[in-house]
Amino acid sequence: MSEFHKFVVDGSPDIELEELAIHLGLHETEAEELERRFFDTPDGRLHAMGATLEVRNPVEYPMMRSLVWMRGGQVLASGRVDASFAPGFAETLPAGPAFDRLREVIEMRRLLPVVEVRSRLSVAAYLDSEEKTNARVMIDLPTLPDGRPLPAVLEVRSVRGYESETDRLLAHLDARDGFDATDLSTADFARSMLGAPPFVPSKFSVHVEVSASSAEVWVTVMRELHNAMIANFAGTVDDVDSEYLHDFRVAVRRTRSVLQEGRDVLDAGAREHFRAGFKWLGDITTPTRDADVHLLDYPHMLAALSPQYAAALAPLGELLLDRQRACQAQLATDLRSAQRAQLGAEWAEFLAGDGPWAGRSTDAADADRPAREVVASRIARAHSRLVRDGRSIDAQSPPVALHDLRKDAKRLRYLLECFGSLFPAEVLAVAVRPLKSLQDVLGEFQDTEVQAHALADFGRQLDDAGSSTETILAMGGAIEQLSVRSARARREFASRFSNFDGASVNDAYDLLTNASKKQRRKKKR
Amino acid sequence: MKILATYNIKGGVGKTASAVNLAHVAAGRGNRVLLWDLDPQGAATFYFRVKPKVKGGGEALLTGRRDLGDVIKGSDYDNLDIVPADFSYRHLDLMLDETKKPLARLRKVLSSVADEYDYVFLDCAPSISLTSESVFRAADALLVPVIPTTLSIRTFDQLDAFVDENPDIVRKLKILGFFSMADARKRLHRELADELRQQRPELLATQIPMDTDIERMGIHRQPVTAISARSRPARAYQSLWDEILERL
Repeated sequence: MSEFHKFVVDGSPDIELEELAIHLGLHETEAEELERRFFDTPDGRLHAMGATLEVRNPVEYPMMRSLVWMRGGQVLASGRVDASFAPGFAETLPAGPAFDRLREVIEMRRLLPVVEVRSRLSVAAYLDSEEKTNARVMIDLPTLPDGRPLPAVLEVRSVRGYESETDRLLAHLDARDGFDATDLSTADFARSMLGAPPFVPSKFSVHVEVSASSAEVWVTVMRELHNAMIANFAGTVDDVDSEYLHDFRVAVRRTRSVLQEGRDVLDAGAREHFRAGFKWLGDITTPTRDADVHLLDYPHMLAALSPQYAAALAPLGELLLDRQRACQAQLATDLRSAQRAQLGAEWAEFLAGDGPWAGRSTDAADADRPAREVVASRIARAHSRLVRDGRSIDAQSPPVALHDLRKDAKRLRYLLECFGSLFPAEVLAVAVRPLKSLQDVLGEFQDTEVQAHALADFGRQLDDAGSSTETILAMGGAIEQLSVRSARARREFASRFSNFDGASVNDAYDLLTNASKKQRRKKKR
Repeated sequence: MKILATYNIKGGVGKTASAVNLAHVAAGRGNRVLLWDLDPQGAATFYFRVKPKVKGGGEALLTGRRDLGDVIKGSDYDNLDIVPADFSYRHLDLMLDETKKPLARLRKVLSSVADEYDYVFLDCAPSISLTSESVFRAADALLVPVIPTTLSIRTFDQLDAFVDENPDIVRKLKILGFFSMADARKRLHRELADELRQQRPELLATQIPMDTDIERMGIHRQPVTAISARSRPARAYQSLWDEILERL
């Protein structure tokens, strides 16, 4: 693999870089004045992988606008775009395998403009005696659109197989004052200078002190979850993409779960009050999430059908879109309501220990106990229940048994995710991996069942609306596909559960929960 | 990863020019492309200014003593890498013969980079041998340049006969023939091309013209599609690549 190095150039970058080019005999291959507009997903997926996506508009040739995806100094995909082009969802990207890889990265997320800069960008080749390029040197002299200068950046990417030939160049840069190694991109510098808001991470992480009391840890976790709700609120109301609502709902569900597990840790009155409040908040988001899931699954549904059936399903696509819009409009209204605002304000006060919750004494017995001890007992209970219920499921068990087991699994997972930092990471990994795998198959079973029922309902609506026989037949085909997936998930369940209920995984749970030998023997029976 | 081999039993028909230019066109469109110069003469390697040397030679690659990834060289173009030629490739038949399952060997070697590339071009030496058979087994398609001359067409017939007689070797291999070095000013070229198109309607429609720009590749040591993307041969290679994609 080729090597990549990046430097910030201090002092007078123009002069420094010119001297460098002469000294090293760099051969300039391109030089352009560009207007650059950078894009990323709301959770900064491209930033996280060290990549950038930008629309480049050459100042002298504005018609030669292009979309460029880069990482490590290498163009991963590029293509000409017209003046009206603005990246959005995956389908807005140019066709082809290179942009297919970008589609895989962004998934269902929307690309949003992040920052704009103006750059004098030049690329030079570091040649050997055969005039073969051994490394590419990119020099970026950027400014903000208002003319404020940004740090000049110099990038060196050795060509694969010529890494050692680049050493002389790198040694020279290392020895020279004013060239400081950096991991930041021009877009990062611009975001920083403009004070742009941080990306909204989808992955939840919270660090809690092992020695802290349960009450402290519970509040810390709930604060982080509240931050996640706040971070995803506006995107959910504005329907920027479906993942904002997804992440908002996950934060609400985790909050409900943490409240549920907070018996004897939190004030009983507050706990009941907020459990009801967050149940309401979760419930108002459910119809829109269901509608989002139907829409997200629609292209996969079409892909699994014959072209004839897929074409006949167009009225379903329109119905799903109308439904999503209607649900989203209602959700936006509900989220802007006084009831939601009051819940948010009360929750913030509770977490801050202010307002009606200030000074409220708690008689909760576990509040002052070490959090690790309390959480371990909660995990032990949730794990035992999941194992007990899972072992009772066989091929004849009704679907509801698997649906209930899914809830058991979710409860355990939330405990491990929200309070995971209290436990050794390596043991946690052994405990979570098979649980996640079990949840995937339980989720697939539940989702396909729910979707099949919903599709049957949509089919009746389309029939009543006078849709063609082909459409109704195609709906039947789609429901059949879901049945096949559901049956596959059902078959897969036994092996996934058996893996979860294996000796090494049970040992990991015993380690997490400090189970005694006696308890372990009992569990094995 | 799709493996495409530029192949003809006859030499001097434009195999290397096709491999070099098609690889450059494919990479220019954002595909990750590897070109393996299997011809010990190393013309493709020369065009990309890479030294025709593989540490340990072809034997090290075929026996697995050296990973293919370790000998890959980046070209001067984004997304286009080269496995250079090596003079030892002249003994490739012997080397393959000494390995287990020689026909499957080339595909196995390439499988180690399957996640890194969308297209692999194999630029083959002119012959019909164990190496070619290994190429046939590895490739998804053979790109067969044919000069509209009697001798060149005869070798295309020989390839056809081989394919018919050896279904166990070629399996699902696609044979994509196209006219190369076609000189529209020569009546014989025009007549033979027309005649052959009638006999073989499966031939690709694009033909690569005889053009001095292609000959200049040796002076510039660059693909013609890089020297002059708007030239007649460059446009022909771009159109040929479009057609190949449709057939794959």
